[in-house]
Amino acid sequence: MSRPVPAKRTLPSKEASLFKDLLSLYESRQLKKALKTADQILKKCPEHGETICMKGLVLTHMGRRDEGIDLVKQGMRLDLTSHICWHVFGLIQKGEKNYDEALKSYTQALKFDKDNLNILRDAAHLQTQLRVFDALIDTRHTILRLRPNFRQHWIALAVAYHLNGNLLEAKKVLETYERTLKNIPDYDVEHSESLLYHIRVLEDLGEFKDALDKLDTSAKERSILDRTAILEYRARLLTKLQAPEAEFAWRALIDHNPDCYEYYRGYLSQKNLSLSSANPSSEEALELLQTLSTQIPRAAAPKRLALTLATGPAFSSLIKPYMTSALQKGIPSLFSDLKSLYSPTNPEKQNTIQTILEAELDGEEAADPSTYLWTLYYLAQHHSYLGDHVKALEVLDRAIEHTPTLPDLLMFKGRVLKRCGDYLGAARMLNEARLLDGQDRFLNTKTGKYLLRAGLVEEASGIFGLFTKKDAASPGADLEDMQSFLYILEEANAHRINNKLNLALKKYMAVVKVIESFEDDQYDFHGYNLRKFTVNIYLNLITWEDHIRAQPVYVRAALAAAKIFLEVHDDPSIAQAAAAVPELTEAEKKAKKKAKKAASKAEDNKKAQQQQNANEDKGLEPPTKDDDPDGTKLLTSPSGLETAAKLLRPLTNLLTTAKVDIAEKERMEIWLLSYDVAIRRRKLLQALTSLTHAQTLNSAHPGLHLRLVHLHHFIRTTLLNPSSSPSNPNGSPNPTGPPAPIGPAFLEGVKQLGVPDESQVSLETYNQQYLQKHAYPSPSDASKAEVVVACAKAMIILGAPLHEVENLLLGIVSTSGVGDGDGLTIGLALEIGEMLKGLASGREEEFREGCRRVFVRSTVFGVGGEEEVRVLREGVLRDPDVAVGADEVLSV
Amino acid sequence: MNIRRAKVEDLAGMQASNLQNLPENYSMRFWIYHLMSWPQLSYVAEDHKGRIVGYVLSRIEEPDEDNPEKDIHGHVNSISVLRQYRRLGIAKKLMLLSQEAMESVYGAAYVSLHVRRSNKAAIGLYKDTLGFEVAKVEKKYYGDGEDALSMRLYFDPEESHAQQ
Repeated sequence: MSRPVPAKRTLPSKEASLFKDLLSLYESRQLKKALKTADQILKKCPEHGETICMKGLVLTHMGRRDEGIDLVKQGMRLDLTSHICWHVFGLIQKGEKNYDEALKSYTQALKFDKDNLNILRDAAHLQTQLRVFDALIDTRHTILRLRPNFRQHWIALAVAYHLNGNLLEAKKVLETYERTLKNIPDYDVEHSESLLYHIRVLEDLGEFKDALDKLDTSAKERSILDRTAILEYRARLLTKLQAPEAEFAWRALIDHNPDCYEYYRGYLSQKNLSLSSANPSSEEALELLQTLSTQIPRAAAPKRLALTLATGPAFSSLIKPYMTSALQKGIPSLFSDLKSLYSPTNPEKQNTIQTILEAELDGEEAADPSTYLWTLYYLAQHHSYLGDHVKALEVLDRAIEHTPTLPDLLMFKGRVLKRCGDYLGAARMLNEARLLDGQDRFLNTKTGKYLLRAGLVEEASGIFGLFTKKDAASPGADLEDMQSFLYILEEANAHRINNKLNLALKKYMAVVKVIESFEDDQYDFHGYNLRKFTVNIYLNLITWEDHIRAQPVYVRAALAAAKIFLEVHDDPSIAQAAAAVPELTEAEKKAKKKAKKAASKAEDNKKAQQQQNANEDKGLEPPTKDDDPDGTKLLTSPSGLETAAKLLRPLTNLLTTAKVDIAEKERMEIWLLSYDVAIRRRKLLQALTSLTHAQTLNSAHPGLHLRLVHLHHFIRTTLLNPSSSPSNPNGSPNPTGPPAPIGPAFLEGVKQLGVPDESQVSLETYNQQYLQKHAYPSPSDASKAEVVVACAKAMIILGAPLHEVENLLLGIVSTSGVGDGDGLTIGLALEIGEMLKGLASGREEEFREGCRRVFVRSTVFGVGGEEEVRVLREGVLRDPDVAVGADEVLSV
Repeated sequence: MNIRRAKVEDLAGMQASNLQNLPENYSMRFWIYHLMSWPQLSYVAEDHKGRIVGYVLSRIEEPDEDNPEKDIHGHVNSISVLRQYRRLGIAKKLMLLSQEAMESVYGAAYVSLHVRRSNKAAIGLYKDTLGFEVAKVEKKYYGDGEDALSMRLYFDPEESHAQQ
């Protein structure tokens, strides 16, 4: 660099050499010595910015974070043109996961030292993390220009082009790179992986012939070592080239791994056959599968695939030996293996299966006891799946009487009870199953989950704790550390049922946090995979990370959290109520005390360790402090709606820009809640767009109907009504309709949604029309119960008299009303109960009584009063034989 | 059950399956690390709905400063099959596919693993079905104080005799 060095940066020669020591001591993380060296320099030159920054960095690594960061800032101010100061600052920001700001600092640092490889490399990683690919390409070019001899720098440039969507340029870079290669050792995995990457680029470009040639040459030379990849690429490329050899290529894959369904699909499609029974040529396909099955007897796949294809007598002749063999072996998964053959519109296969099972049971005397048992087990699953839970329980009781010690039977009985809404009974069954095999974590996890479904949070924690780390602050803390979504989500839902909205919200946000940590996890691999040359899997990682919020757990948590924020916004008093500290029971007090003790012990251990090793590197990540352990601040925060918007935005973005696997039901809910949040934030166009998207998905959806009524009511009463004073979050009154620039566009868009003008049809009538059309003659995709609930909510918005709303809702459980068969679920019934409570209706108990009629076995509508629930609750964890107690399990 | 090589999209399912089944758990970064380092070695079994019901997570260990003489070999970090999906031979199939890749891609001489001394079912699978042998016992290997059997299977049977 030609820039003159400022005088204040120049150190006397002794200090200059100490500074070099300081840098290398830091690099090797000899923190204590580094600190000493920095102090030595500062004694002589107390104003030296770079040394002050380095000292701050070292202190931060040592865990003296606040002090360290103060020093870094102080050092920065003393020398704003030093690349070292900016680099240090960038490192600190990167440690805080503040990638945006960190990249800015690195860019500054590069201004003062543009060829610094360390800084360039970090900058490239930040650019990848932030997906600023144009800049990444520049950085990769610079690095390659500086060090063209490093193989990975070439690959890195190709990847940068690739990420930016320029595959052609990526290909060119790879070609140039390969021409520079010489003396590649034999069996070089890295070279093998980079060739596979090159072939993928060719394939993605549609240059199938070139890709195939490269694959065949490299495979022949043994430069590609990954046999599975060779075979898979080959079959795929030949298929795309419509070459006759494709058939053999797929056949070779079947030999390679005869349990991969995709290979059979590929093989059959070469013969113009498919794996679907709807296909007219399915007989031919069936024959082919049977041939394969004879050729490869150890393969399970062709036998199972044949069952999908076969119909009529062919099916009967195949299913019989398939089932008999599985029942004799006692294969627990037989039902889940076969249930995809069941169909509500074409029950032929399930009927055949039932006949076989019943025949098996008729010969009861002759049958082997184990086969008999597994047959009953299957039959119970069969009945429950087809909705006959009573029969399922009957069969299960027979089986349990026969063999009381098979956990699978008890587990399934629990599941049936759960389906009936008897959550306490279900949990008790699971616990009995667990006691039969205390060493099996699967049974333990399931028991915990069922306890949470029953709302028994403390009891679940005790069970989970049998397998979590003993030194963790609590079983839940360990499971959260280990990123167990199952636990976090189930506990969140349990708090929700128990009406502890603050704790529920806390857990939903914990899911979000884990997802964020997954997002951070990719950071290290931006450099690592390029060094390892595992490019293909790396590119898949990048796509996965881009879609990480489409993970079902995130969707569920974000929607549930947004709902709570909306509820609190509409009625802040529920936040106060939920967050009020209730009287603790003795057990809760004890548990709390224990948790506190464990937490402070964990803290002590940490402290002791820290003192033991002052040289220990604590990294640059700030320690996580939780100043809101029970979520009260979160729940009562005035920015709840903004948080909800932040949770939903990534989802709406993914839905409109990417191909993600989110179920239609969730898609609908995402748009509906986005509307709810947007309209309350007065983001009119966002609200409108959300409803337009929802309409494209399903224009008759009851949730959408409700929003359409809400929107028109809102426009009439709030937006166009000068006398209203909207509760605008910004406090700015909005008396004369929507703001000028968006007003006309918004109102025009609203018209497009197709609700008739109020001068012709009132909203009340519109709502009744929807109810008539969708609830009574034939339900649309939604159930009658859902339609009724949506219309009742619309009536509440429109200010209908209480008794009309009550009549409509009570009708759902009246003997002549919609009832169970019309799609009333337990969840929906509970929601209706809450609605009635909110309306201060006198008919809440009457409704619960109706629910008890519909859900005979359910415990959630207050069977026989609270006393019985209490007894059940206590009984859940009681050991039926008092043989193996929890303590004994602990010592296993 | 459909058995195939593990993909990035399977990571969450593999982690969930591990947490549900086994006492030894790992954060996502660990799972990603294995797939990014040795993308050829890990396999999964999925049900008709695409849910992960079993997996094997493997790695390669190479000679390093501490052990310059050590043969390059594969190591099974974690393998599990959900309780309901037992007795189908899934674990065996997963192991064989992973072993094949260790040998053919990396030229591994053998595969190693640790198993709880009390886990009779797993030891049976490794010993009787797959041909593993106990190389040594590692005292108090597990967090709860249980011993581990360190087991090995040489891909070249002659090599196995030479080591004994």
